[in-house]
Amino acid sequence: MVHIVGKGAARFGRTATATAAAVFLLAACGSDDGDSGGDEASGDEASGDEASGDVSIRFAWWGNPERDEITNQAIEAFEAEHPNIDVEGDSIDFDGYFDRLATEVAADNAPDVITLGGAFPREYGERGALLDLSEVAEQLPTDDIDEAALSNGFFSDVQYSIPTGVNTFAMVVNPDVFEEAGVPLPDDETWTWDDYVEIAAEISENTPDGTYGAADRTAPDLIDLYSRQHTGDGLYTEDGQIAIAPETAREWWELTTQMMESGATPSATITSELAGQPGPEQTLMGQGLAGMQFDWSNQLPALRSASEADLQLMRAPGESHGVASGMWLQASQSYGIYSGSDHPEEAAQLIDFLVNTEEAASYIQADRGLPANSEVLEAITPELDEDTAAQAEFIAEIEDEVNPDLIIGPEGSTESVGIVQRLNDEVLFERISPEDAGQRLVDELTAAVS
Amino acid sequence: MNGTVEESTAEQEPETSKRSGRKGGNSLTKREGRAAYLFLAPWFIGMAVITIGPILGSLYLSFTDYSLLQPPEWVGLDNFERMLNDDRLHSAIVVTVTYVFVSVPLQLALALALAFFLDRGVRGLPIYRSIYYLPSLLGSSVAIAILWRQIFGTEGLINQLLDVVGIQGEGWVSHPDYALSTLIVLNVWTFGSPMVIFLAGLRQIPTMYYEAAEVDGAGPWTRFFRITIPLLTPIIFFNLVLQLIGAFQTFTQAFIVSGGTGGPADSTLFYTLYVYQRGFGSFEMGYASALAWFLLVVIAAFTAINFLAAKRWVHYGD
Repeated sequence: MVHIVGKGAARFGRTATATAAAVFLLAACGSDDGDSGGDEASGDEASGDEASGDVSIRFAWWGNPERDEITNQAIEAFEAEHPNIDVEGDSIDFDGYFDRLATEVAADNAPDVITLGGAFPREYGERGALLDLSEVAEQLPTDDIDEAALSNGFFSDVQYSIPTGVNTFAMVVNPDVFEEAGVPLPDDETWTWDDYVEIAAEISENTPDGTYGAADRTAPDLIDLYSRQHTGDGLYTEDGQIAIAPETAREWWELTTQMMESGATPSATITSELAGQPGPEQTLMGQGLAGMQFDWSNQLPALRSASEADLQLMRAPGESHGVASGMWLQASQSYGIYSGSDHPEEAAQLIDFLVNTEEAASYIQADRGLPANSEVLEAITPELDEDTAAQAEFIAEIEDEVNPDLIIGPEGSTESVGIVQRLNDEVLFERISPEDAGQRLVDELTAAVS
Repeated sequence: MNGTVEESTAEQEPETSKRSGRKGGNSLTKREGRAAYLFLAPWFIGMAVITIGPILGSLYLSFTDYSLLQPPEWVGLDNFERMLNDDRLHSAIVVTVTYVFVSVPLQLALALALAFFLDRGVRGLPIYRSIYYLPSLLGSSVAIAILWRQIFGTEGLINQLLDVVGIQGEGWVSHPDYALSTLIVLNVWTFGSPMVIFLAGLRQIPTMYYEAAEVDGAGPWTRFFRITIPLLTPIIFFNLVLQLIGAFQTFTQAFIVSGGTGGPADSTLFYTLYVYQRGFGSFEMGYASALAWFLLVVIAAFTAINFLAAKRWVHYGD
């Protein structure tokens, strides 16, 4: 590029060339800024440098300053217990986490202890990036960890990751908004999707502009839940195919379109804008502007503190009316060990400390879901703060009634988030019909996982 | 910098000096040549290691299926065949081409117009020049992209202003019909760097041409179209080439404004953003490499067309 323009530039003299050079240099600086944007957050040196030991391992997670603080406290406690191990904490916000992880794994420079979530343990495990944890079973026993939660990291007969805690996708409601609208809280053991649609519309109507009955949180998790209730199948089959029928997705989008048109949920532009702002404090519920919003149960404390309201967790609508329960318990996150790690045993010791000890749990509490180790959970229950206790109570309440089958998406399924968001935009902006969206969801998911 | 530009515009270009130096056979020149290469070595090494190497690496990867996590597998032309039937790629091409062909002409026209007026002898020229140049430095930064998202958001500055005059504005960046326009506006706003180059070019046009034309009774429009524009064509060409290449490669703004999704509904799915999504979002580094090579070929083709067409409209005055 320099050569191409250089030839022409010479002709019109030193001035222009000099200016051009300056432009190049400055332009180069400009784009560098862009590249390093993702890295800025990574400078978070988490571990105490004073504890430099014989072995150094790196532990990566995504999060926010609060999570970093409590995690660093747990790391310091671990280092005090294991003076020969130096843990380097490495945190970044969620948006950049998996991009960076993919690059690091490709460069054979991945962290020893990797935080994963959703379908990522399978995505990375089946591609050979994660250690088979049976190799370090001595350092990392899993006897006290909930079976169901463990299964979230168990694929092709290999345990790739250990759950950090248990989570559920549920309805968060704001009693203050209900009260303002003069609408009674629903009975979540009996309510239906029709009730949900009606209540949301009523709240929107009886509250000032800008407050909505519900946020439109269309995402793979929610469509999964809806589909399981209606057909018994979620998005995927056990053997990694697509299970959802186009008609089910069509019904979902008919429902959300209807809600948007009635004003129960915000306009398409606002929903699309909110989709780009994942932080709990940026959501409508976090801003105190929604009566109802689907979310993960471990977000309750963050949503409560952002909205300053006494938010409650509820069962999803239609739970008692469908073919099967749509809700499920899932590992909110999980820890795996990089297959190329030089110190797998020390990495396993760190994970063991984080998931199997009361001490780590006393710092981390339920920030990464309720501890999946039953003994640890029992031990810390009295210490839980009010917000976390509410979450624990809710999970205890629904534990036995939720759908025990949980199918984690196969390789390629992590693309589903982008696919659903795009189709949701297309439907809400009336560029395609719910029917087309349903068909395209199935087609695009099939292409993504094949 | 401002001072030197003004000084050097005053002198005429020593057209011959650059040719004479190259042929010189005496030993001093040779020694100087060696020294020059020595000083250039860091650049050559950097070019080879961090530019040419990876580019050739990606050429190989473009013929493979490479998930980043597993070693690449040779698949021949599969990636290129796949491009033919990839709907999202086609919409990314439409978005990028629209952006390039709308924003570049607008940006250059604005740059030329402002350069022309600043050249009319405005008091405090260096200050104006710096102010107008500033957006070019900031335009591709993350901070400005975030600011842009705020300005054009549902509750952003633009809508607050519209509210004052009683218009209920949309969330510009989150509406598929307007999101691309906001990025076009952002690119046009960075007119400063072509403007500075235009300004330098305008200063090189000898005033005697204008004086002669005026004596012959030419009005301001005639002077502009018959003298300024023809003598400025090399610089217009230079800016056009640079800005076209830059616009095709737009990434940061689109990435930040849409949060990396290219949304809403793919309306800001720039080509490079799609390459990124394929590579890092879906672990298809082989396909992403093929896409990147296609972009390289397209940019090279456009630049070549530019150079060929330039023979017809660019006057070098020699």
